[in-house]
Amino acid sequence: MKKILQLTLGIITSVGGFLEIGSVVTAAQAGANYGYKLLWAILLGTICLIFLVEMSGRLAAVSKHTIVDATRERFGFPFFSIVMLGIVAVAFLVLVAELGGIGLALQILSGIGFRWWAIPVSIIVWLLMWKGTFGVIENGASLLGLVTISFAVAAVKMHPDWGGAAHGLLPTMPGDGKAKYGFTAVSILGASISPYLMYFYSSGAIEDKWDESYIPMNRIIAGFGMTFGGFLSMAVLVAAALSLQPRGIDIEKFEQAALLMTPALTRWGFYLFAFSMLFACLGAALEISLAIAYFFAQGLGWSWSEDLDPSRDSRFAFTYTIIILLGAIPLLLGIDPIKVTMMSMALTSATLPLAIVPFLFLMNDPIYLGKHRNGWLSNSVVAIVILISFVLAIISIPLEIIGG
Amino acid sequence: MKLVRDVLDKKLTDREDCEMGRVSGLVMQVGERSQPRITHILVGGKTLWMRIHPWIARVAARLSRMWGPKRDEPVRIPWSRVESVGKDVKLDVKARDTGALDWELWVAKHIIERIPGGGKQEEE
Amino acid sequence: MKEINAELLIGRKVCDANGEKVGRIEEFRVTNTEKACLVEGYLVGTSALVDRLSAWTLIRPIDKALRGRVFSVYEIPWEQMDLSDPKHPKLRIPKSELRHSK
Repeated sequence: MKKILQLTLGIITSVGGFLEIGSVVTAAQAGANYGYKLLWAILLGTICLIFLVEMSGRLAAVSKHTIVDATRERFGFPFFSIVMLGIVAVAFLVLVAELGGIGLALQILSGIGFRWWAIPVSIIVWLLMWKGTFGVIENGASLLGLVTISFAVAAVKMHPDWGGAAHGLLPTMPGDGKAKYGFTAVSILGASISPYLMYFYSSGAIEDKWDESYIPMNRIIAGFGMTFGGFLSMAVLVAAALSLQPRGIDIEKFEQAALLMTPALTRWGFYLFAFSMLFACLGAALEISLAIAYFFAQGLGWSWSEDLDPSRDSRFAFTYTIIILLGAIPLLLGIDPIKVTMMSMALTSATLPLAIVPFLFLMNDPIYLGKHRNGWLSNSVVAIVILISFVLAIISIPLEIIGG
Repeated sequence: MKLVRDVLDKKLTDREDCEMGRVSGLVMQVGERSQPRITHILVGGKTLWMRIHPWIARVAARLSRMWGPKRDEPVRIPWSRVESVGKDVKLDVKARDTGALDWELWVAKHIIERIPGGGKQEEE
Repeated sequence: MKEINAELLIGRKVCDANGEKVGRIEEFRVTNTEKACLVEGYLVGTSALVDRLSAWTLIRPIDKALRGRVFSVYEIPWEQMDLSDPKHPKLRIPKSELRHSK
């Protein structure tokens, strides 16, 4: 019974993957510009994440080591430092985007500019990590994140063309505007397949003290969690297709995305959107701050746990404190969070191979996983993700420049 | 046993299962005619940064002389203190006595404990 | 007797007594006794790297397809390795006298 409550780890992980500012903005843009045609990109991202997250949990449960532990131990410090540099730098940019997302949500609720929210938001995120335990963060963020179910309610209430939506689950090419279509597809994949999700999930499994008996539950948690997030992300796309595309609204400002639920839920839709973004970005900000601090602590051999008092894992606590403080600076300077989001998604795609290639080796390591090593199906999926990641890595930045 | 696969970069735990960092390096004693032997485990200091580039090690050493517990030499733990080598390397030492936790204790005392809610490190 | 950092030997190119390249040091085979941890030999070559990464499950099909020509390893007994200049380790014997480990 207790194991089923661990579903919250899956939910918070998927919130950070599918419902944070990058994913919502790209899904809304996809719906506004191409109707249902890019649902396949979200489906592909969901399937990839289900497998990657399940593997992350399995590695932690069986070996009692996180992905970061195993990467340092197996590949050595010089290679590990390259991975750390790439992943942490990009994750930091995503954190800035999420803090900005909370600020933008508060801006549309209060009318006060996001710059003024930078410091209060950072303090709240930091306080939750300083005083909270992993369970409180995991369960709290998941519970609050459930408000995003309103996306699904809005989409259904607008009576979508289910046949058209089903068609959208298969990849098609548009007649014209191929560069922009490609850029949007790449952005969706880059926004959803984020390496920090895997690092967070494997660390969360250790925080929650998983062992081999959690392996079946891990499959359910990964499957359910990522499906939850992917499904709601599709709901955002469908809602945008129905509410924004007919009006020819191309999302260039965050406030335009806030209109996607108003046809179905009127004024409530506007507020529900704002609260959904507020809580989803909060969950994502907590997840990313933790993922970065976990990376340093696990890689360099410090004590770490959200369940410990900060003085008992001082370097870990110091790391997330500094990260959150630094994350507020671009926002204080007035840098547009949406621009940071777009850039961070392109860079996430570009650095994805750094995370996934070593991961393939780890998931086949008999010393860490014994009989629970990857089978041919999981290896094939990882190989496909590696292929996708290299394609994304090569084309994401040029596409960002041309099509963005 | 294989040194790189089984020992290097592995987590170290003391006799109370307290985590005390990772194996950053290994001291090897070599002679003209004698069989080389591993004599010490190295933790922290410039050992880690030397594995990337000596210039980074110099910068790190300079920074650590200005700030922190002012230790730039790595912690040396005799190989004779190694109790077992498995998923982690278990040592027959007390972590605090080795100096491996100097930075952790310094950050706790000078930064974390000064912030409300930071808690307190146990006094010995 | 002198002390060197073993971790800085990893990846160093090893040449034989005639200056011919043998490979890069990827691993150390040691015997851990009650008295000491003694170095028995040095594993040099791409196969040693695969071993170190525990990656044979992935690499074996490629190795078989390439008929074992690409991945090779030499085990160099400790007495044949000259570490007087740790930055340029060299063998005391020619490469031809070394035994292939795999």
